[in-house]
Amino acid sequence: MMKLDEIFATRKWVGNPLRRDHDIRFIKGEGEYVDDLEIECVHAAILRSIYAHARLGKIDTSKAAAMPGVLAVITGPEVAQVTKPVVPRAITKPAIQYVMASGKVRYVGEPVAAVVAEDRYLAEDALEQIEVEYEPLPPVVEIQDALNPDSPLIFEEAGSNILMDDTLQHGDVEKAFREADHVIRESFKMHRYSSTPLENWVIIAKYERASDSYTVWANDQQHGRSIVNVCNTLGIPNSRFRLIVPDAGGGFGIKLALWPYMVSLCLLARKVDRPVKWVQTRREHLLAGTHAPDCEVEIEFAIRKDGKILGLRFKDIDNDGSFIHNAGIYGMIKFATLVGAYSIPATQAEMLSVVTNKGPTVQNRGVGKPTMIFVLERMVDIASKQLGIDPMEMRFKNFVQPEQMPYTTPSGEIYESGDYPECLRKALRLIGYEEFKKQAEEWKKQGRYVGIGVSASIEPGTSNLGYYYTARGTPEYMGNAEGAIVGIDYDGNPNVMIGSVDEGQGHATTIAQVVADMLAIHPDQVTVHTHLDSMVSPFLGHSGCYSNKFNDVDLGAVIMATKKVRDKMLRIAAHMLQARPEELKLQDGQVVASANGGKSVPFKEIAALAYKKVLLLPEGEEPGLKEIAYYRSTMAKLPSKTDFNVQITHSNSVHIAAVEVDIETGMVKFLKYVIVHDCGNQLNPGIVEGMVIGSTVHGIGAVLLEEFVYNEDGQLVTTSFMDYMKPVAAGLPHFETGHMVSPCPYTLLGTKSVGEGGAIGSLAAVANAVEDALSPFGVKVTSLPITPEKVVRAVKETKVI
Amino acid sequence: MHRIRVTINGKQYEHEVEPRLLLVHYIREKARLTGTHVGCDTGNCGACTVLFHGQPIKSCLMLAVQADGSEITTIEGMARNGALHPVQEAFLEKFGFQCGYCTPGMILSAAALLEQLPNPTEEEIREALEGNLCMCTGYQQIIDSILHAAEKLRAAGTKPK
Repeated sequence: MMKLDEIFATRKWVGNPLRRDHDIRFIKGEGEYVDDLEIECVHAAILRSIYAHARLGKIDTSKAAAMPGVLAVITGPEVAQVTKPVVPRAITKPAIQYVMASGKVRYVGEPVAAVVAEDRYLAEDALEQIEVEYEPLPPVVEIQDALNPDSPLIFEEAGSNILMDDTLQHGDVEKAFREADHVIRESFKMHRYSSTPLENWVIIAKYERASDSYTVWANDQQHGRSIVNVCNTLGIPNSRFRLIVPDAGGGFGIKLALWPYMVSLCLLARKVDRPVKWVQTRREHLLAGTHAPDCEVEIEFAIRKDGKILGLRFKDIDNDGSFIHNAGIYGMIKFATLVGAYSIPATQAEMLSVVTNKGPTVQNRGVGKPTMIFVLERMVDIASKQLGIDPMEMRFKNFVQPEQMPYTTPSGEIYESGDYPECLRKALRLIGYEEFKKQAEEWKKQGRYVGIGVSASIEPGTSNLGYYYTARGTPEYMGNAEGAIVGIDYDGNPNVMIGSVDEGQGHATTIAQVVADMLAIHPDQVTVHTHLDSMVSPFLGHSGCYSNKFNDVDLGAVIMATKKVRDKMLRIAAHMLQARPEELKLQDGQVVASANGGKSVPFKEIAALAYKKVLLLPEGEEPGLKEIAYYRSTMAKLPSKTDFNVQITHSNSVHIAAVEVDIETGMVKFLKYVIVHDCGNQLNPGIVEGMVIGSTVHGIGAVLLEEFVYNEDGQLVTTSFMDYMKPVAAGLPHFETGHMVSPCPYTLLGTKSVGEGGAIGSLAAVANAVEDALSPFGVKVTSLPITPEKVVRAVKETKVI
Repeated sequence: MHRIRVTINGKQYEHEVEPRLLLVHYIREKARLTGTHVGCDTGNCGACTVLFHGQPIKSCLMLAVQADGSEITTIEGMARNGALHPVQEAFLEKFGFQCGYCTPGMILSAAALLEQLPNPTEEEIREALEGNLCMCTGYQQIIDSILHAAEKLRAAGTKPK
């Protein structure tokens, strides 16, 4: 692994909060989101199922097709005839599903037909003229419905509504439970929510008749995989599909599942022979866009009387709705986070994925990590209460200690570095924990319900793809990697293209900082293309913006490509200056010879040889100054049930929330909120701060406000931001943050994951604080969200949230 | 169809429009000013915020025909003679944006707030932003940006135009 001194020529830019001038277009309203592109389009609208579960009968499109301005109508069964079924990744039972409904509808909002018209208003008018015959079937909505053997089957060919059931055991679990002084059991329920990017999904598809090929513009987050999926589903060679991803208005995982719609749009574009645009409405996004699955978790801790956790058993049932491509994924990410920040020598995890008539699921920010940490950190508080041990003492006793790093968990995750106890101590100091506890006692005497809650967690990142195949045993993807192209232009300035995309994280600025320090120039001189074009961008099957992989493999690729081009410049410069390459250094856009009278040559002159005066190049040197590099994470293990790391880097954090609960209204008010986190080296602290706080607010939304509520018919009743409540600025705390820096030894720049961060640790901190505030009533929190209604009911009657 | 005339960022636009055309679609698709975004369709998110005779409104909740004869400022009209508006500068300096999708609406709402309240507290800013959702930042750096913009404007002794 290269050392930082080998990577960087200067140390001026990396590590500083450089403002995002590379993205100044967003400030000026000049972002280029898909819907902003100057492409003359006709418009698609999608007819969606009004039933959760029904046989699909005749679909009469004749009236719609005859309307003025309507160009084409297709139905789900027509799409199924010309496409291949959706490919599952984790489930083990057979289940056949197409990108639009065929034969059956399986959730409210499933696409049944689509119209293309001259404008979107006409297209939506036409949807009303399509007549669909449904034969309603009994809906299967909740997990317990799915598990009931008398329930109807959603996929008859599967023979069960349980599509995956996998158990992994590591360490001597029997012994741990045999030797335990206490076994503490609890069940938890987690609701459905989504991080809802503010920009909905938008796709434009264009068909080129002459070459029988498609170009698609889409705000896709994981294009490497989408390209494979679209081509396979359409049955076309890769050369006939070009994907372009411009700016995206947030992603958070929710834009990992656009590809089925790309397939439908391609078919429509071919039918009308004009570019077709589809702009998802917010209602469509909430109804059928994709959610984090709701789940039921059972967990038991084997504990010694001094509070040491000897082992745990965990059972997770995810309600993955009706989208088999993603079903079963959450269990394995929870499994990867199974022991959190603790040294627990024996674990058993059973992971089930059930299919229901709820909407599709996808890898929402943090995937299963938020649930797992919520469960673990609730369990630590519950256990410490039962054992009469201080909950902080219980954490200190069980933490993986700094001297154990790198620490390998029983199943093979490698925690590379970090000081978990110090992180907690620092957070406790920052919030003034002891003083607050004393103050809270006083307030409680005055009839105020005030509490404080702590959550100590790991924040894993960079997925070792293929993890979701563990149950199936046939991985198609492994490890993680990304590509980059770095060139020096005629004028001596670098330009960078990466195989990934940016969902708003400011990748261009961070890349410019890294390249500037590698070439001893100013970041303003670095042009970064964050838009993806599959015809030219150096992408891989792993490419995309997900699982915090950017500052690991994306930057790895940028660094390796920059190094290649730098090495070439040095070889050419050595020839020009009649010096040895090792005598050369980079300085202010020039290569300077330390001997030889300090002669120098500007990058521009080097570029002139590479591009124009090619006869003056050294013997054997190729013309041109552009290099491509692919970089793969060095730590990913091969998929295996016995020793496997699902996630490759491990940041950690402590969240502490202090809240006051109004027992009359059930409202939770923040008094203080402290986050201390450690994501290794920070490349741009201004950007990191935004990730830490922004992700925390995702978590707070999930704990207190947001929930996809289905009624017993399987109808989603929260289909706008009027009833699916998002956090607003008012009511949120002013976050105080503290930092620790434990560089990762396995990433080139010592960085770890940062994007999901607070979405993982915040849930338990708030839940623990609410339980503490309501301790006079003996209320226990075992489910989310903590809505005002549940709080009032728990205080008055149930004692359980 | 109705003929409407609208002044956007000082420039006159005239179009035949359907009575049901939303103002936000008019701004984006007829005037081709795509800095005004659509996030929710129900008036909750504020991505479509524009200044209507100087007041922030949600352009997804108004029909284009209702805007006939009006003066509108969109994000594209905030910079003057190539110089960013102080609120825009502040958003850049304090990391007040991530994906940029809510940013135009946030900047317009903030500029309108500072016009009325040149020295707001953090609480007043939080209350004033209740109609603007940001899914990325958790709002804190947006609030820092607006406080910073207020300082800049007070220091310059000018109110935003």
